[in-house]
Amino acid sequence: MNNILDTAARKPLLLLVAVISLGAVFVAAIGRNARLETDLDKYMPGNHPAFVFSDEAEDLFGIEDGVLFVIEHPHTIFNPASLEKIRDITEALPREFDEIDSGDITSLFTAENISADEWGLTVESFYSDIPQSGESLAALKSAVEGNSMVHGRIVSLDSRSALVVAEMDNEEFTPAFYGELLEFAKGWEGPEKIHIAGRPVVEGELTRLGPKDMSRMAPLVLALMTVILLFLLRNLRHTVLNLLIVLFGVLSAFGFMALFNVPVYSVSIMIPVMLIAIGVADGIHLHNTIHYYIQEDPLITPDDLVAKTMKAMTRPVIMTSVTTAVGFVSLMTSQVLPVRYFGLFTAVGVMMEMLMALLLFPASIYLFGVPRIRSKKEDQKTAAEPGTGFTAKAGNFLISRTPIVIVLGIAVFALAAAGTSRVWIDTSFLANFQDESPVVRTDAFVNSHFGGTSSLNIVLKGSEPDTFKEPEVLRLMDSLQQEVENNPLVGGSFSLTDYMQRMHRVMHAGNPAYDTIPETKDMVAQYLLLYEMSGDPDNLNKVADYDYLTANMTFQLKSDSSTLIEEIISIVAPYTQDFDDLGIELKYAGSGYKSFVFADLLLEGQLMSLLLSFGIVALLLTAMFRNLLVGLAGTIPITITAMINFGTMGLLGIPLSASTAIISGIAIGIGVDYAIHFIEHYRSSRREGMSPDASALHTLSKTGRAIVYNAIAVMGGFAVLLVSAFPPNRQVGGLVALNMAASALGTLTVLLAVIRLIDIKGKFLRPGVRHDPEQDKGKNNTFKEY
Amino acid sequence: MKQTTIGSMIFLLCAAAGLTGLHAQISGQDVMQNVYNRPTGANMTAGLVMTITNSRGATRERSITQYSLDAGTTEKKIMFFTEPADVRDTSFMTWSWDDGRDDDQWIYLPALKRVKRINSDSKNDSFMGSDFTYDDLGDRHPSEDTHKILREETCNGQECYVIESIPVEGTDVISKTVTWIIKDTWVGLKKEYYDSKGAIFKELTINNFEKIDGYWVITDMVMEDLGRGSSTRIEMNNVSFSISLSDSFFSERQMRMGPRR
Repeated sequence: MNNILDTAARKPLLLLVAVISLGAVFVAAIGRNARLETDLDKYMPGNHPAFVFSDEAEDLFGIEDGVLFVIEHPHTIFNPASLEKIRDITEALPREFDEIDSGDITSLFTAENISADEWGLTVESFYSDIPQSGESLAALKSAVEGNSMVHGRIVSLDSRSALVVAEMDNEEFTPAFYGELLEFAKGWEGPEKIHIAGRPVVEGELTRLGPKDMSRMAPLVLALMTVILLFLLRNLRHTVLNLLIVLFGVLSAFGFMALFNVPVYSVSIMIPVMLIAIGVADGIHLHNTIHYYIQEDPLITPDDLVAKTMKAMTRPVIMTSVTTAVGFVSLMTSQVLPVRYFGLFTAVGVMMEMLMALLLFPASIYLFGVPRIRSKKEDQKTAAEPGTGFTAKAGNFLISRTPIVIVLGIAVFALAAAGTSRVWIDTSFLANFQDESPVVRTDAFVNSHFGGTSSLNIVLKGSEPDTFKEPEVLRLMDSLQQEVENNPLVGGSFSLTDYMQRMHRVMHAGNPAYDTIPETKDMVAQYLLLYEMSGDPDNLNKVADYDYLTANMTFQLKSDSSTLIEEIISIVAPYTQDFDDLGIELKYAGSGYKSFVFADLLLEGQLMSLLLSFGIVALLLTAMFRNLLVGLAGTIPITITAMINFGTMGLLGIPLSASTAIISGIAIGIGVDYAIHFIEHYRSSRREGMSPDASALHTLSKTGRAIVYNAIAVMGGFAVLLVSAFPPNRQVGGLVALNMAASALGTLTVLLAVIRLIDIKGKFLRPGVRHDPEQDKGKNNTFKEY
Repeated sequence: MKQTTIGSMIFLLCAAAGLTGLHAQISGQDVMQNVYNRPTGANMTAGLVMTITNSRGATRERSITQYSLDAGTTEKKIMFFTEPADVRDTSFMTWSWDDGRDDDQWIYLPALKRVKRINSDSKNDSFMGSDFTYDDLGDRHPSEDTHKILREETCNGQECYVIESIPVEGTDVISKTVTWIIKDTWVGLKKEYYDSKGAIFKELTINNFEKIDGYWVITDMVMEDLGRGSSTRIEMNNVSFSISLSDSFFSERQMRMGPRR
């Protein structure tokens, strides 16, 4: 391995050309193929039973998310100009946008008013010509107020605002289209305010804002990290190399994605986050080793420097990168497609970073000679010599108080575990926005004046046609609706029962006593026939299928949080049995429910992959060090990092979402790196004959310093995200910093203590290896031959 | 013959044998007027089976017995549903006026045992939830469109005029229709409906037409809605023009009593 690397590194210019050409290929591929996936449906596993069922139901009943245009008048929308505006917007939307069909629009202008008096039954529009007189406006107002199918649904209870709802496929809601809609809405302003809300808007904004904000913040992260590296390493060359490694890693991850035609998902913005955090580690450890050998022998030749450095570092760099990559590849077990791609391409990036680190550092020595470093004297002040300096003091402290360290470690672990139990999943898209953002304000407005911006569908499937003409079934549906509506966050519900109650009342001259489900099946059938003949039968297709074998109930929700969906599911649970007794199967559908299931899958997948990577890492470390105890100890940094990550989320109330779940991947990426570098260094110190304590101090002062530098640089860089305008990115910044700190601290304290403990008990070095002068001699010989 | 035979929805396109003499200089307008101005007979009774198939292939089938009377200024009609069982004996009566008044409509629901008047100006023009609109079923007057003979060609072995009709008042829904009219009988064989983007969105096909009691009657036709993927077939049986019906037959009382058996 080293020979191949060395051969390549000895031709630095050729290497440079190769790197630049490969980079160009990636840039070209990204330029040609990269596209952002904004359709959240594409994020869901298509073959999961819950999604398959929901998709079928959505198709059957035309369940689509609505884009809501809110027309808000200072006093009342019952004035000629506002009514005209409602009509004009209703008619202009399908005319101006190919994505919107006229049949998909609901407004006061399209709504039908079924009313009755002694004379008979009237099915009519609320208005066709714009009412002008005070009298006709008042009549319209009272007609609206008398019809619960529109009042509070498309006209607010206070009469000051009205909705025009355009249902559309999420796929069609692109950022560009949203821009056009905003422009369109602006054209209708005054004196009314026009707002746009609805799930597609929130989703669209989310998928647009996240990457946009991240692409604005990423250069800042890199810049700050560069400054910190420059300060810590005091070496421009190595700082630039580190930057090159990280940039190339990110470029190749996205380059390969583009080459394989994989779209950029919103989760993909976490790829650079991971690669920056992980990529710096290889470079800093290499720098540290180079630094060490130059200090040891300031007159070292480039060839010797490369030979010694690579001898010491090739193995740990490859091992850390491979274990990290394997950890990420374990995300391929996730059911969520974007997470699978995230794992795969982060692994690709990690391997590319490894290759770059192993090539660029020696190549730079061949090309530019031995790097200039601080004098040994100057360096002494800060750390290196065992027995003096801060590192040494801290090291001595840690070594002398192993039990305390372990007890403290267990205490932190326990606290984190307690926090972990409080982690909650939130699929709320809205929670990702600033409270004062227009999206949040409009959403709150609609939720307080209308049924709600979110919805949940319950789909009932009977065992034979005409099931939903049975009064008994309809009454059960009605009582379910009423019970769910008791939840204050449920704004309303809609199903076949609403049509039946309305028809029943209307056929009894509007007598409120008949606002009930009709008594017989024939009566239901005859009302349905009457509605088909006099109303718009397409409306019925949204609540029942052709054979009345399947029915759809829509609940309007004032929150898109998965907590609310959980609450509703628990209210509905007892009804499942009741429906089952009638031979009816109850299931959920709609985008809200899919997000809910999606969140579960995401969490499950993330935990699975964490567990899996524990296993893999333990196995790899055991194999590497030929020692099961060491292998197990090696998982300590991962465990601590993951626990502190989830524990802090639980304690601070940060919900688990797609991006925050993935951050725990840092535990794998960084935790493993630290563990391997640390154990490797400790072991080689011991093999060189140092005592356990001296080895611990030596490891702390060398590898420990690289780990601290690495953590500080990455934490500093990601701290920039804390001032991001996009709340999820703030969480990413904070959690990355937290994870880095946890990994570094966990390694330098608990891992150190445990390894030392294992060593003292005589279980660290295998008997045949311990203090074997031949082995050490052989090692040196190999070293010289190299 | 009165000009607005609103109720003649079942006779989509009939023809008068006496008008076959017109040829050579005949205009598109004349062709459509001839189609419209065909005698329909004063009294008619027929059985009707309407099958609506939605885009998933699910069907709803309804059987109706209907009676109609053309009394000059009014056309009266009663439809009695005979199938499916849960709507049997539901009846629907329409009085159409030729002075531009809205139709008068009544419905009788046997489950309620009540006749109710219905006043519907629903923007949806669908005929009983089918793919046919009232316009498709003969309600549309030739003067509402401008007609042009595109060509003459043979269609299903019949010499036909191919007429393009463009609405005088542009609507969002239909930009034009193209109709195949048999030259000597003035029976339409096929009609294509084009949307505002110039694409076919509905297609009417006549499967069968017969001469019954001296009148051409279309006894089997299918309307396909290409956009929605649904279709509606209307078949007629037991058509008779020889029945005698008095004006008093078209009453709330008859609605309750059910069809003559």
